[in-house]
Order: sequence, then C-alpha cells, then structure tokens
Amino acid sequence: MPIETPFSSKRFLLALMLAACSVILLQNNSLSKNSSFLFELACMAAGLLICFLCFIPALMLRKMRGADILRLSTRSPAFIKLPVAVFYACYFVYTALYFLIPYTDMFHSKYYPGVSPCLITVVLLGCCVYAAVKGVNVVTRFGIFLFLFAMLTNILMFGGNLTALELTASSVSWQGNAGDFWQNTRYFLTPAFIAVVFACLNADIRNFRLRQPVCALFFTGLKYAAVLFFIRFAVGAYASRQEYPTFVLSRTAHFDRFAGVESFYLALATMSVFMIISLLLCCVTKAIDREKNLRTVILFTLILLAAYTVSAYLHSAKEILTNPNIFIIFTGIAALLPLSGLIMGRKSNVPTLVHSM
Amino acid sequence: MCRLLCIVCSMALTLLLTGCSNSRQIESAAIIENVSVDRQDGRLVYTFYRLTSGDKPWGISVSAESFEEACKRASEEYIPNLSLSKLELLLISEDAAQAVMKTDLPYVATQPFFSPVAYLTLCDDRTMEEFEKTNRTQQLIEQQLILLKNHNPSVSIDYLSVFNHLAAGREEGFPVAFIYSEKELKVAEYRLYTKKLTKNN
Repeated sequence: MPIETPFSSKRFLLALMLAACSVILLQNNSLSKNSSFLFELACMAAGLLICFLCFIPALMLRKMRGADILRLSTRSPAFIKLPVAVFYACYFVYTALYFLIPYTDMFHSKYYPGVSPCLITVVLLGCCVYAAVKGVNVVTRFGIFLFLFAMLTNILMFGGNLTALELTASSVSWQGNAGDFWQNTRYFLTPAFIAVVFACLNADIRNFRLRQPVCALFFTGLKYAAVLFFIRFAVGAYASRQEYPTFVLSRTAHFDRFAGVESFYLALATMSVFMIISLLLCCVTKAIDREKNLRTVILFTLILLAAYTVSAYLHSAKEILTNPNIFIIFTGIAALLPLSGLIMGRKSNVPTLVHSM
Repeated sequence: MCRLLCIVCSMALTLLLTGCSNSRQIESAAIIENVSVDRQDGRLVYTFYRLTSGDKPWGISVSAESFEEACKRASEEYIPNLSLSKLELLLISEDAAQAVMKTDLPYVATQPFFSPVAYLTLCDDRTMEEFEKTNRTQQLIEQQLILLKNHNPSVSIDYLSVFNHLAAGREEGFPVAFIYSEKELKVAEYRLYTKKLTKNN
C-alpha cells in the first residue's frame, strides 16, 4: 500500500476556492441579459448555497467513516469498485474538458488567433501531467502562489475600473423571471465541482474544520459579486456585446495613461485552468489506480487530448462536452454518491483510516 | 537522466513557443494608431494612420459605407497586415458623426480586437487638415481630451462611455468632446443625441 501524505486542509480548500473563482473568468455570456444586478446576486446566493449542500455527503462520510468515497470503494468488492471508478473517471474527464474547451476558445479568439488551439491544449496538458504526477500536495502549494497572483490581478482589474463606475437609479432595481433565475442559478452551480474533488480527496487532508468550505464558498461569492458589479456598472452595455465580459473588464482597467491588464487576466485564467485540470487528473489517478501514477495520468491525458481534438472538429461533440445541464446533473450525482458510502461502510465495516505523518 | 531530459525538453519548448517563426517586422505589421472619418462628396472616407516614428503621418484613405467595409477594403486592397488592436484615437468630423454613431459604434463594440478605452472625439474640418499634416496633432488632441475629462468627468471621451450612453438611449443626450482649431487646438463639449447632434459650446 502506498504511503499516505496528509496535507493542510486550509491549503487544499484555498486551491479549491481558486478553482471555483476561475469559473467567473471564463464566463461567456452565460447569464441572462434581462436580469438586474440584485437579481443576479440572489441567483448567485442560491447557486452557492446548493454548492455548499453538495459538500455535505462527503463531510458526513468523512465524519462517520474517516474516509472518502474512492478509498471506500477500493476496499469494496469488484462489482462496487468498478462502477464507482468508471463513473468518477468519466466525470473528471468530462469536467476537465468542460473547462479546457472554453479556455482554449478564449485564448485562441482573444489573445493569440495565430496559434492552433490543439497546440495550446498540448502544452497546457503537458504541464498538468507533471503537476498531477507530483500529487495534490504540490498542486495545492502552487495554489498559494496563485492566490497572491489572483489578488494582484483582482486589485488591478477592480482598481483600474473604479473611476469608470457609474451607479444609477437602476442599480437597485429588481428585474428577472423564473427562466432567468434558472439560467443564472445553473451557471452559479458550476463551482459545485469543487465539492466532488473534495469528496474524492478529503481523506488525505488534516486539520479540517467545517468553516473552511464555508469560507471558500463565501470568498468565491465575494469575487463573483465584485466581478458582476464592475461588469454591470463600469463596462455596462458594452460587455453584453462582447464574448467573455470579464476579459473586457480587464481591458478597460486603466491607471492614468496605462490601460488594459488583459495579460494578467489571461495568465490568471491559464494558471487556474492548469490547477483545475491537475486536480482533476489527481482525482482520476486516485479513482483508477493509485500505485501506477504516471501511467494512469498519461493515459487519461491522452484521452483528454483525443476528446478535445474530436470536439475541435465535431461541433455536436463540443456542444455535448460544454453542455451546462449535463455538467450539473453529472456533478449532482458525483456529489451525492458519497451517501452510498455510508451504507457501504456499514455493510463492509471498513476501518477508519489512520493518517501517517 | 529523466530530470536532464525534462530540462532539455523545456528549453526546446521555450525556443519553439516564442512565436518567432511567425513573426513580422514592426514596419510591415501595419499597426494602425488612429483612424479619422470624414465626409467627402457625400461619401464617408476612412483614413487609417499607421504607427510611425516620424513626424509626418502615414495614412491610407478608403471610401466606404461603414467602418466594417472600410476595414475589409483596407486590408484587402491596401494594407494586407492591418492591425487595429492598438487603435488609440477615432477622430470623426462633424458631418460624419451621425453615420458613425449609428452604424460604426455598434460594430466596434462587437469586435474583440478594439480597445474599449480608445479615445473618440468629434472635430471640425481644420483640425482634420491639421491631423493629416503632422503626428503632433494626435498628442495635442489627447492632451486636450484628458484636460477636458479632468475638468468635467461627465464628458464621454472613449468608445466604452459613448457606446454605453448611446445604448442607454436617454432623451436628454450626453456630452462628448469636440476639438476645434483656431490659432491652436481647443476642446469643447458637444451634446450628442441618438437622433440628432446639437452643438453645446
């Protein structure tokens, strides 16, 4: 059995928070155009509340069994172990593509149209393979650096738009209907994937406190609210005419004669997607085969690359891989699956894991 | 051994991904710094001014119905490597303002390569002539715009602000900058309405 290396839960939740925050960076007009700012905030609160509920099955499993769903399934009979492993492997591959495709699209259309999207993908996945082989501990260490860089970028993005803020009487209006509510809330449910990553890796973390996921989602909400606020009141109607409103926000940031911090924004988006995919590859490794780390990571990276290439040439495949409804349903099932671990645990009487330092 | 291989691969990748293989000399890249729009014989004429280090501007004039058509014609017929991502100023003559505001601004707002904070101003015919003569005029216009903005923050001097005001469609209109030339360049406010233009000062 491989030696477990427990790591700080604060660092892990920080990495998950950064992964959740990156969702707003890749936003491509996913929110309803008819809804007001306050309505969007309400949708965001509802979405993030559901995201928190997705953490609960994994928290219960950790408290009652001291393990995560993947660890429990590996100690179960083959007829349980195999479907769980296949399901989570499919989920993590799908999620990785769900973020990879919009990112490469954005990079290609906004920053460097001269380069092939497949080349960007190859380079990004190459870095992710290295990080995933090193393990979650190393990826979360990278999160500390990313956190500081994200702080700097956000300060530049928001500070540079402060002078352009234009608050009107409509700032406090309430506008939106049931359809808008569903569309917006569905978008704000996207960070729920961090609950699944947590569900699969939480047995390896120590010093866990319940307030940590709450804080992670709270700060994610703050970041979303700030971005939405500045897009709405500093960029205004111009943002709705453009793809990727957050990118526009970074372009409109200006300090005196110095204008545009889109390079910072793209670097942040790149590093965030890199961290998400690395974390997901770590989860895949754990779901499939924990002892042959490198081989599993390379295998799944090739699968990712193949699926990406198919999506680049087949539009219907791309639509399936970036469909928010499929993603939400998939995430819901993956987040709820640890509940079955409680039953599995009772029946098979799996012993509580003892971490070695 | 494995580490050495990784280092060699990383160095090779660093060299390959510099983008130098697809590079262009800055002189041949045709980076457009300013665009002026004027009306001549009833038709709109768009002049694309390239980024140059000299004092004399280098401009290509294209007659077209809209900015979209002008960009297309300019890149097809005159400037193959036209790049508008560094556009700093869109100078519009009084006569052309109506057409530009109605058709060109919505087009510019949908294009990812334009900077939303590029300056936009109206001007009189003499300023347009001055602009064609020397690059220094551009600097003077920018200085005047910044002064005006500092003096009156409600004046719209960039695309973003002008587009948002137009999209809001307020009846009372909104002020934009107007550059005029007497002995020297001066700036005034111009109240712009969705349907008609009225000079304020």
